[in-house]
Amino acid sequence: MKKMFKTMSVLLLALGIVSIASAAGSKEAAKETAAAPEKVVVNAMAYGDNSNQEGVNWVRIVESFEKENPNIEIKYEMLYDEAYHQKVVARLASGDVPDVAYMGADARWGAPWKEAGQQYDMKSLIDPEMYNLDLIPPMGPNGEIYEVPLGTSNITTVLFTNEALIKSLGFDIPKTYEDLVAMVPAAKKAGLDVVSIDGADGWAWGSCYMSAIIARLSGDAHWVSKAVAGQNKFTDQVFVDSLAMISRMVEDGVISKKSVLVDYGTNASNYSNKKALFMVQGQWAAGGIENPEVAENTLLLAWPKLPGEKTEMSGSVAAAIQVGYGITKQGASDPAVRDAAMKFINYFYSEPETIQRLRDGAIIAPILKNYTLPEDLPIISKRKVELAKTAKNTDVIDAFLSGAANDALNAGMQKIASGQATPEEVAAEVEKLLRK
Amino acid sequence: MTKRTKKQLLIYLGFVGPGLLVYLFIVAYPVFYSLWLSFTDYNPNKGGAWNFVGLLQYKTMLTDPYFYHSLKNNIIVVLVSVFGQIPIGFILAYILYRKLVKAERFFQSMVFLPQFLSTIVIGILWKRLFSADGPVSRIIQLVSHDPSAQFTMMLSPKTIMYPIGFALIWMYTGFYMIIFLANLQKMNTNMIEAAKIDGASETQIFVKVILPLLSGAIAVSTILAIAGSLRGFDLIFAMTTQGLQRNNAMVLPIFMYQTAFQNYSNSMRFAYGSAISNAIDVISVALISLSNLIGKKLNAGEEF
Repeated sequence: MKKMFKTMSVLLLALGIVSIASAAGSKEAAKETAAAPEKVVVNAMAYGDNSNQEGVNWVRIVESFEKENPNIEIKYEMLYDEAYHQKVVARLASGDVPDVAYMGADARWGAPWKEAGQQYDMKSLIDPEMYNLDLIPPMGPNGEIYEVPLGTSNITTVLFTNEALIKSLGFDIPKTYEDLVAMVPAAKKAGLDVVSIDGADGWAWGSCYMSAIIARLSGDAHWVSKAVAGQNKFTDQVFVDSLAMISRMVEDGVISKKSVLVDYGTNASNYSNKKALFMVQGQWAAGGIENPEVAENTLLLAWPKLPGEKTEMSGSVAAAIQVGYGITKQGASDPAVRDAAMKFINYFYSEPETIQRLRDGAIIAPILKNYTLPEDLPIISKRKVELAKTAKNTDVIDAFLSGAANDALNAGMQKIASGQATPEEVAAEVEKLLRK
Repeated sequence: MTKRTKKQLLIYLGFVGPGLLVYLFIVAYPVFYSLWLSFTDYNPNKGGAWNFVGLLQYKTMLTDPYFYHSLKNNIIVVLVSVFGQIPIGFILAYILYRKLVKAERFFQSMVFLPQFLSTIVIGILWKRLFSADGPVSRIIQLVSHDPSAQFTMMLSPKTIMYPIGFALIWMYTGFYMIIFLANLQKMNTNMIEAAKIDGASETQIFVKVILPLLSGAIAVSTILAIAGSLRGFDLIFAMTTQGLQRNNAMVLPIFMYQTAFQNYSNSMRFAYGSAISNAIDVISVALISLSNLIGKKLNAGEEF
């Protein structure tokens, strides 16, 4: 026992010496830093990972920004996809609020920030000489701007069209739904899908498919937001008919039955590997078409004329406010942090970085003023700009519908596609959950 | 108190204190916090105000069809673990211990291999195997001579637990095999030799000698399997895609996650999520007590 006591005493003494030494060291360091200007630390939540362009670019931009601004430190946590959303909820709930974060203003990307009261109106901070304010839509009831969108409106219902492949089967670009149906036998014979969708992902049915269909059939660009507000019902015949388009497309062979087993990555890879004539996805998927020949031959179109669609919505696409980086209320509470955060955001959205985003296929068009589009911009990016210029924009479902009702709708559409539920059943469940 | 007992007490506290503090803050505090939360409508994102709502969250839970669906799936996972992973692990350990196969080191490594892989990696691997035109679908197409045939078990709530159960067995059997193998190796071989001299067959040795001697290890494995199955989240989450598949395969931890972290339309979602996690705790304790009781009745001979 005595021996053990001696050993413990020696250990404690050693620990004490180390602590005193390190405390002295930190005092010296404190003296040194006192002479230098105070460093502002901006806590950020970034979106991306080390394997995608968003993440790689973020790391590079932070490094070069810190080099140019040695008195600002960007302390960040970078996450992607579901992990990001999960961490946002956890951090907000625990009061660990970042100063700057990747966020949106809608029911999916904006909901946690809104609930936590962390949305901050950045209008007074946004430089009108740098940004084209006409391209930044109002996000709050009084025209507030909670984040700087990465680009102009985010089209979610693009029909990526492999023109060369379609022509090789002897067809032209489809003008009507019947044109698509006419392609089915030839495509089947060639072992190809007509329209490929990542139907295993519930959100794809809502964001990338149904958002376009309901607007076309109802003739109302804002049918969804009105339904969420109680002016329309999801059990209305027009919504049931829109849901019935899923089973019709599957029965006609336009959308393959197996699509409910295809995930996001496989969908992009199938299209990139010429296994499908068309692919339904958001505009952001343009950057994921890895086969340069397919990317070159790809047209970005709206769905052709659908049976029963209203003429006023012909050629429309669903689009939401693009997500981007915003300053939180917490970040804005300290003027030094707020200014440093805005300086970083401006750096992040500088012309070279924004053009790089355009090249990567991440955005449709910049929201900057007086930028010069490079002539060597990939053709697919130019086509994206064309689509954005010409197509009418309609509501994206999950920008307005969230929670259990949205989940039920997404899973319900998968059930319809796999023959497990009727449109009426799905519509009734969504309506019930929404009004609960 | 004498000087000696004081010293002893100080030493005791020195050893126990840090661990106890860690336990109180990391384990006990969240459990009690979650219990309190489940009786309120507290949402930390909506300021500090809260009201005592009694059993409201539990009543909501007991009338929610997703709770029963998740509970059913969880019970299936428990059954797969207890009556799938453990017996198979035991049999494999016995085969290796009795050297009934050649190259036992190779087989031992192969069966244990999944334990070296991240659960997320395993989940993605199985997801790919079961995807459209994936390896499993290709085999079905080859056998059925139907090029459009697909593996569709992941789409139905009635069938999804078969592929998931298979993946669970594949992943965790090696873990139980190692537990049993370690216990078999420390067993006194004289008993087996004596049984052999008495003319016992391989089956008799297995049933009458080895099985009773390992009843303690079986009981411990059962407790581990039940606890692991009820908090199992990662493999099922990674194996399924968001939407229909995840809803079909929903287990209680996924139900809790989706409720508390994703259902923004429910302002009491954190409190409701806490009620679900408390239900997981209660079911775990009940099942573990039951297995303990059965273990004791079967003369496991050890206290757990």
